[in-house]
Amino acid sequence: MTTPNSASDFDPASNSFDSDLPSSPGGQNIPGAPLDQNGPPVNDEGRRTHPLSGLVLGLVWGVGVALAFGFGSLRDGEWLVALASVPAGFLTGVAAGYVRWWFTKYFINETEIRIETGPIFRSSRRIPFARLQSIDINQPLVARIFQLSELTIEMAGGSDSSSKLRFLPLAEARVIRATVLQRSRALTKSKSPSSSGKVAPAGPETEATLASQPDAEFSLDENLSIMTRVTPDRLLLGALLSLDLIVGIIAALGLAIGFIVFDIPWALFGVGIPVAFGVFSIISSRVFAQWDFTLSRTDDGLRITRGLFDRSSQTIPFDRIQGLELVEPYFWRKLGWGRLEIDVAGYGIVSSEDGVSATTLLPISDLPLAKALMAALVPDPNPEQHEAAFYQASRRGRIFAPIGWRYRWLSRSQNTVLTHTGWLTERTQIIPQAKVQSVAIDQGPWQHYLGVATVSIHTPDGPVSIEIRHLDSELAPDLLRAEIEQTRHAVLQPVSLANFLSLTHTPRSSGSVESTEHQSGQPTSNFESEPND
Amino acid sequence: MSHDLFSDLSYEWTPVSPALVKGRRLVGSIIFGILVVVMLAGSGFLFIFLPLLWAALLCAVALLPTLGLWIWFWFWVPRNQASWGYFESEKELIVKSGIMFRRLVVIPYGRMQFVDVEAGPVATAHDYASVTLNTASSGTVADIPGVPTAEAHRLRDRLTELGDFDDSGI
Repeated sequence: MTTPNSASDFDPASNSFDSDLPSSPGGQNIPGAPLDQNGPPVNDEGRRTHPLSGLVLGLVWGVGVALAFGFGSLRDGEWLVALASVPAGFLTGVAAGYVRWWFTKYFINETEIRIETGPIFRSSRRIPFARLQSIDINQPLVARIFQLSELTIEMAGGSDSSSKLRFLPLAEARVIRATVLQRSRALTKSKSPSSSGKVAPAGPETEATLASQPDAEFSLDENLSIMTRVTPDRLLLGALLSLDLIVGIIAALGLAIGFIVFDIPWALFGVGIPVAFGVFSIISSRVFAQWDFTLSRTDDGLRITRGLFDRSSQTIPFDRIQGLELVEPYFWRKLGWGRLEIDVAGYGIVSSEDGVSATTLLPISDLPLAKALMAALVPDPNPEQHEAAFYQASRRGRIFAPIGWRYRWLSRSQNTVLTHTGWLTERTQIIPQAKVQSVAIDQGPWQHYLGVATVSIHTPDGPVSIEIRHLDSELAPDLLRAEIEQTRHAVLQPVSLANFLSLTHTPRSSGSVESTEHQSGQPTSNFESEPND
Repeated sequence: MSHDLFSDLSYEWTPVSPALVKGRRLVGSIIFGILVVVMLAGSGFLFIFLPLLWAALLCAVALLPTLGLWIWFWFWVPRNQASWGYFESEKELIVKSGIMFRRLVVIPYGRMQFVDVEAGPVATAHDYASVTLNTASSGTVADIPGVPTAEAHRLRDRLTELGDFDDSGI
């Protein structure tokens, strides 16, 4: 692998790229100095991303350009043009990439990070740390080859609320992440004092040995502690036992038998190829994207790392989780497994069905672990604890869901609302009352005729959407009123690190046998753990 | 079975501007008018190329539903206008709408992220605007059409004032 030993080797403008920031991929000696507590970086000009970004961006764009031109001319039989379009495409891409890199700068100060881009259409975006929702470090495969990474910061609100810095050396991205998280926590400390206190008696499995440095104020030491790991074999098993795959394969087999019976074997190709492709894409999205899935806790929030080719590491502050969903597909339920999804403002509606989305907190796990996590993140997660506030969908609405209406209910307590739907795939969704955005009643003409109505409780976009359909229309206004009354008084109970202390990685909880030395000693990848040269 | 859904939730609803009826009828008439003119022009050709009876039949098949929709729209507009209402309670804004598809949404002031006031040329001429309320959730579909312009601006200013990020629940 052609890996730069140090960023400055490649830096044509080393004065703009802080030379005292060691960006060696090794990252053993990262001091907090360049991004320290005392105000913005030394360089008022702002910083640029890694100079190789232009090349990487260019490679990605260049492929697109080359393909577009190449295909066009191939079709016209112009081989020469087609051949020439490949280098031409890459050159254009790289040139464009470099222009973009040159004009992209970022500035960090005590309260915000500012990103300026664009040679012609200049844009400048300010990201106040107080509004931080999550911060992710991603390594697409191309960037990974160059040991670069992409930093994504999500803010609340709007459709275009995420900001990306492409590309940064991994070590630098980590320093920025730690800085942003630390400053964000300092800004929100007044609101939730208990979530910021250092509670963690770091267990033996504490992995953050990154920064053993004298600077006491700034530290990369986040008390990273692994809560669970999901092994690839389990992911594969889960994918194989998921309903869509099984239904798809059965349908394909049925068709295949039909074709053989009716003696049109050539049609098998027509079925076989799409089915094979479908199976592969399900497997790859559920297994490769979640490869080496690790859920950890840090002082600042939950950390999810995953991916085989494209690596991704998400950090979500504890109290930025807006809601939770426990999904139990039929076969998984029989085996006592479930999937946990979360709502994070800013992630938006990423398709949660394919299981790759950033909103997956646990791709597959035993129910006790999933329930324990739910309990740690939301108050009163058990419907049994909810005092007599139980709403069942009306039998009159059974025409809309002949079987499903029995499985559709909502229960609420002082602190949470919980709904349950589905009978093949059961879904339990739960949100804290303090996170409710608004409440609505809807009633269509047929519902009006049947005397039922839908009550929805709105949360930021994501997999969790709390609603109870076809509730008796006499109960609907009561529920609405009670819910609004509750949001008035609900106080956000800060989720503190202490909630998670009981959740440590044991072989039992991940359902796989894995020695403890493995977690702390030799991690399988150098992405999120201590890099090894 | 026709229990009135919102009868338990009776507030002193502020209605939207009656000018909304005029404005929507104007817009509707322009659209349907153009459609009818185009169809008439098209059916002119039919009469050239087809026997009279066939041409008249086809013409009627095309025109009658359009005219029917136009008439339905004409009577739908005032009913819809009358169904809209909002109420500013102490802590929440409550909006109701619809007759066939009824909806009532309650938005705590603190959750309001931003408020848009929009008015096209017809709306401006009739002195009304639509007010759109945005929370962190896109499920909160709350746009009130046809609020008198001055009132729309007052509403926006008041809601923006009351919106408070610390209370946004995210």
